[in-house]
Amino acid sequence: MSQVQFRGYAITDPKKWSDFSIIDIKPKTFEETDVEIAITHCGVCGSDVHMITQGWGEAPFPLVVGHEIVGKVTRVGSQVKEFKVGDRAGVGAQVASCYECRACKSDNENYCPKSLSTYADKYPDGVVTQGGYSTAIRAHEQFVFPIPEALESRYAASMLCAGLTVFSPLKRNGAGPGKKVGIVGIGGLGHYAIMFAKAMGAEVYAFTHDKSKVEDIKKMGADHKGDFAKELAHSLDLIVSTRDVAEGMPLQQYLSMLWVHGRFVTVGLPDKPLPQLTAFDLNPNGCFLGSSHIGSKKEAIEMLQLAADKDIKPWYAELPMKDVQQAVERLKRNDVRYRFILTQDIA
Amino acid sequence: MSEVQFKGYAITDASLWTQFSIVEYQPKNFDDNDVEVAIAYCGVCGSDVHTITEGWGKIPTPLVVGHEITGKVTRVGANVKQFKVGDRVGVGAQIGSCYKCRACTNEQENYCPNKIDTYNDHYPDGVFAQGGYSTAIRANQQFVFPIPENLPLKYASSMLCAGLTVFSPLKRHGCGPGKKVGVIGIGGLGHYAVLFAKAMGAEVYAFTHSTRKVDDIKKMGADHVVVTGTNPDFAKPLHMMLDLIVCTVDVGTDMPLADYLSTLWVHGKFVMVGLPDEPLPQMKAFDFLCGAFLGGSHIGNKVEAVEMLQLAASKGIRPWIEELPMSKAGEAVQRVKKGDVRYRFVLKQDIAPIDIE
Repeated sequence: MSQVQFRGYAITDPKKWSDFSIIDIKPKTFEETDVEIAITHCGVCGSDVHMITQGWGEAPFPLVVGHEIVGKVTRVGSQVKEFKVGDRAGVGAQVASCYECRACKSDNENYCPKSLSTYADKYPDGVVTQGGYSTAIRAHEQFVFPIPEALESRYAASMLCAGLTVFSPLKRNGAGPGKKVGIVGIGGLGHYAIMFAKAMGAEVYAFTHDKSKVEDIKKMGADHKGDFAKELAHSLDLIVSTRDVAEGMPLQQYLSMLWVHGRFVTVGLPDKPLPQLTAFDLNPNGCFLGSSHIGSKKEAIEMLQLAADKDIKPWYAELPMKDVQQAVERLKRNDVRYRFILTQDIA
Repeated sequence: MSEVQFKGYAITDASLWTQFSIVEYQPKNFDDNDVEVAIAYCGVCGSDVHTITEGWGKIPTPLVVGHEITGKVTRVGANVKQFKVGDRVGVGAQIGSCYKCRACTNEQENYCPNKIDTYNDHYPDGVFAQGGYSTAIRANQQFVFPIPENLPLKYASSMLCAGLTVFSPLKRHGCGPGKKVGVIGIGGLGHYAVLFAKAMGAEVYAFTHSTRKVDDIKKMGADHVVVTGTNPDFAKPLHMMLDLIVCTVDVGTDMPLADYLSTLWVHGKFVMVGLPDEPLPQMKAFDFLCGAFLGGSHIGNKVEAVEMLQLAASKGIRPWIEELPMSKAGEAVQRVKKGDVRYRFVLKQDIAPIDIE
């Protein structure tokens, strides 16, 4: 039996969204299919900020966020096959599903209607899910990912949400040799999208209005464009948009850059509605608009292996977990190149 | 050289969109790639109504609409190998493209950025394209489709826009055995979608607003009929079930689009072929988090047109049509505007004699 304590940096007052204090956490009730992890690192995701600012709606408090978690396994249930105590493992933005529906049985557990998020959600027995700005977490084995030997924990952490959330649509929508892929918004998710799309063999165009990122974008391997490029009309096979702001989004122009039946997948989830479209915005090229929700475990493992094999590392800044306030406030202002990683410092 | 005259029922005053008068007009300048067709029938499409009511924007007059055309070949250019005088052919909603771009050279001519519509468009030499409520038309052979022997022209006509516009997305997005396909709106296009989707082997869910058409829809072969108007929870029992939805309704902002998306299986597609005057409902990114896609489609290519006509001929697919003489175009367009047609009007050309079935 492990001696792990569950404590984390929480928001306790919704009116003070960046004032964290350490609280004791009631963890998931341990089951034989569970893996318990002592956390060493946790990435800071835009979702964390959307949640604690309540931009996505009301959240339960006290709330410990964070869903880009890596650590060491401290306990495994009797039915756990993949992990043993001491293994390095990670948890992303999902901690449960129903395990028996059509989605769960087809490597689409990220689309299970009964999926649970890593924080601000509730297990059937009433326990609130609390996230990774903390000392430890428990999760069903299906949502725990082995970290390859060759991939350091501080690199792997932010791949578990940011990386996977772009890797899945890149993979499912055919990013690869001979394909032209556009990435909109070059932040935490966007910079991973460039690196993975390049590693998968595609030709990559990066769209950002932020000229200070141009040199970095070139180093990541992409051709930089402004908000939109007329010369790319009808030529991109896929656009993955990480853009977090709906106001002023030139959606029609993005759609016009797609080749016939090309797809625009927004993984960015702005608080406000997308620009309103007409049927005439879709029929000149028969294009498609969609979104995507994280990725499956199968994709997580494939992504981590790709990162290990091709030496893909995020562009990040590391802070001790006690500096979480600075991290979330700077992320809200887009003042990060390109992901914060917090090092656990409570236990 | 043919003696064909080009005359048609035109709108001459856009504020009087149900009043047609016969006009003579200048046809496309004939070139070696062209086929000239004496028109026997022309279907009445929602596009005709959108155009003459100026729902899609201002129109020049006089304007002859109509893009579901069948008839007989009267003349072929020197480069035309596929057709000869006397052949039974059809022309749909597109009459030209650039023939050389990536789209045109990849059987995507219906997505050519320089495509020319059958009416209310201009050729590069300035000639105005007039449509099929008329005696004859000329078109590049790429946009002329052979009609199978055992498919009567009056049935084939409305397949050339309505049929093709749903056949193409059904085909491209995997309609077939083992698939569950939804069709929203059972009118001219929608009823074809039911007939074709069944012929392609899919299980068909037809969505209709009221109970008015339910019996007909069952006779068309739909496996399930969902009446949406009186049931706000219509989508719940269908959660994540459908592989593909083809939406033909002429409705924009009032459509329960998020509900329809929720009926799609992971990465299922909602293809909007209806082209309402007003925008689609405003969506949030969250509405797509089930992984579904919202897309569009524009008619189909020639390969699909030929395949569709062959399918119709071989499986004996017959649309539900109401035939009227072309002089009654005014009555036809008024009734289409009101949705009062079971399920497509086909106008029989009556300006010039034509020796046809």
